[in-house]
Amino acid sequence: MLRVSLLGIVFIIVISWVDILSGDSGFPDLFRSETWVRVFRFLQELLGNDNVNTPAFLEGDRWIETGKLAYQTLAMSVLSISMAGLVCLLTFLPGAKNLSDGDKIPGWPRFLGIMYFPLRLFFVVTRSIPELIVAMIVIFFISPGILAGAVALAVHNYGILSKLAAEIVENMEVEPVRALKSSGSSPAQALLYGIIPLFLPQFLTYLTYRWEVVIRTTIVIGFVSAGGLGREFRLDMNLFKYTDVLLILIWYLILVMMVDLVSSRLRRLAQ
Amino acid sequence: MKRLSVSNRKMLSVILIGLVLWSLSNVKWNDPIFHPGGTDTFRDFLEASIRPELSAAFILLVIQSAWTTVTYAVAGLCLGMLVGIVSAMTALWAGRKEKSINRFYVAAIRIFLAFLRAVHELVWAWLFIIGFGLTPMAAILALAIPYGGILGRVYYDSLLIAPEPPIRALQLTGATDLKILIYGQLPLVFPNLVSYTFYRFECAIRAATVMGFVGIGGLGMQIELSLSDLLFNEVWTLLYAMIFLIVVVDVWSSVIRKTLTK
Repeated sequence: MLRVSLLGIVFIIVISWVDILSGDSGFPDLFRSETWVRVFRFLQELLGNDNVNTPAFLEGDRWIETGKLAYQTLAMSVLSISMAGLVCLLTFLPGAKNLSDGDKIPGWPRFLGIMYFPLRLFFVVTRSIPELIVAMIVIFFISPGILAGAVALAVHNYGILSKLAAEIVENMEVEPVRALKSSGSSPAQALLYGIIPLFLPQFLTYLTYRWEVVIRTTIVIGFVSAGGLGREFRLDMNLFKYTDVLLILIWYLILVMMVDLVSSRLRRLAQ
Repeated sequence: MKRLSVSNRKMLSVILIGLVLWSLSNVKWNDPIFHPGGTDTFRDFLEASIRPELSAAFILLVIQSAWTTVTYAVAGLCLGMLVGIVSAMTALWAGRKEKSINRFYVAAIRIFLAFLRAVHELVWAWLFIIGFGLTPMAAILALAIPYGGILGRVYYDSLLIAPEPPIRALQLTGATDLKILIYGQLPLVFPNLVSYTFYRFECAIRAATVMGFVGIGGLGMQIELSLSDLLFNEVWTLLYAMIFLIVVVDVWSSVIRKTLTK
């Protein structure tokens, strides 16, 4: 099996590269001077070398304006990860094989077992579709703004978080639940006291890791859902206001670093 | 797995609830949440899921664009792995000795990798298009940069936390650094590295799809075209193709992981 997989991997790598390089790949352009001249001119435009207008990143007003957008972007990321986390907490349990079966647990509700496959399928479907595609679809129904962006991000992250959450539970022992159940607690009580205390620290760790990913993706979601920095990035890019683009990228990097810092603090608290 | 201490638990609860409330306060609740007619479109969209477009010509197009997406993902991931492996190995090798120049090198690699993964691949794509035009190379490089950063960090971190005793034993027998890496560290963490790389391949397929949005072919571009024509049945066919690709990679990865950890 391993040998077949290895051959498969080598095969797919070779034909992918052959396929790309045989077409109009742009690969030879890497070694052409015009390409690099273009790249350099673009970098200069980012830094604002035309001497006609003051670069956006030297104007206080522009910093404040884009700062407000950065603030919205941050709110969008928190909103989306909390939506995803909340819905995940409410639904992930039947997705864990050891809990949905509940063979060893006396008097375990049967419907959990029936829900296993539909729920797993739902996890896969939501996980498979990238955030940007969800966003493109979502803005057909929800008015553009941070809510639409947050919903789009939440759908994809729900799929990932639920899969991870189910795996946490699958790696846990169900014995505490069994003990609680046989000492007369209801299924809900058994879950609340047998699973959640051990599950939550691990889950919070994953949640903060996903938050770091979400903040990086919010800018992309903004391209379509009209919220936060991403929308401004796209507009400025299309209007060739490159110094504004640089300002937005600076704010974006500030956000990314801030979220990385806060999330690692939260992780330490959760440990 | 540990339980949270009581004071930490209280603090965490306050912080998390505070964050959620703050984010909710930023939504403009006075504006209508749904478009006028948005609910009808939503119903149309969901209805189309059971009637995907299945004409032969369209299926052929779906297969072609799915293949394009896969080639971009594979090529981008290859370059990303190259960056990741080289930086992880050299940092590991430099970290073995306690010289200040070596410590400086490790720190430099860490910062470099953090920089690579800070910016989203679509932003890189947008910047590369200016240099290369709408060519596959722009997509591949845009994918390779953040993926190199992520893979490098994960490779380095997991090689670093490999259990100490077997490595010490190898060192005592006088094995060279390369031999320690091959016989000591790598076998201990190899299954994890493989399954993580597969997980990243799954992500790369999604990312390569999204590249379609800036005009570099593949599934994403077709989805965007079909969406703007409001052809929801075509959108669903493309979405099903995506889901199929992800499931294949997922199953493949779990099969390999099972054989490796056996």
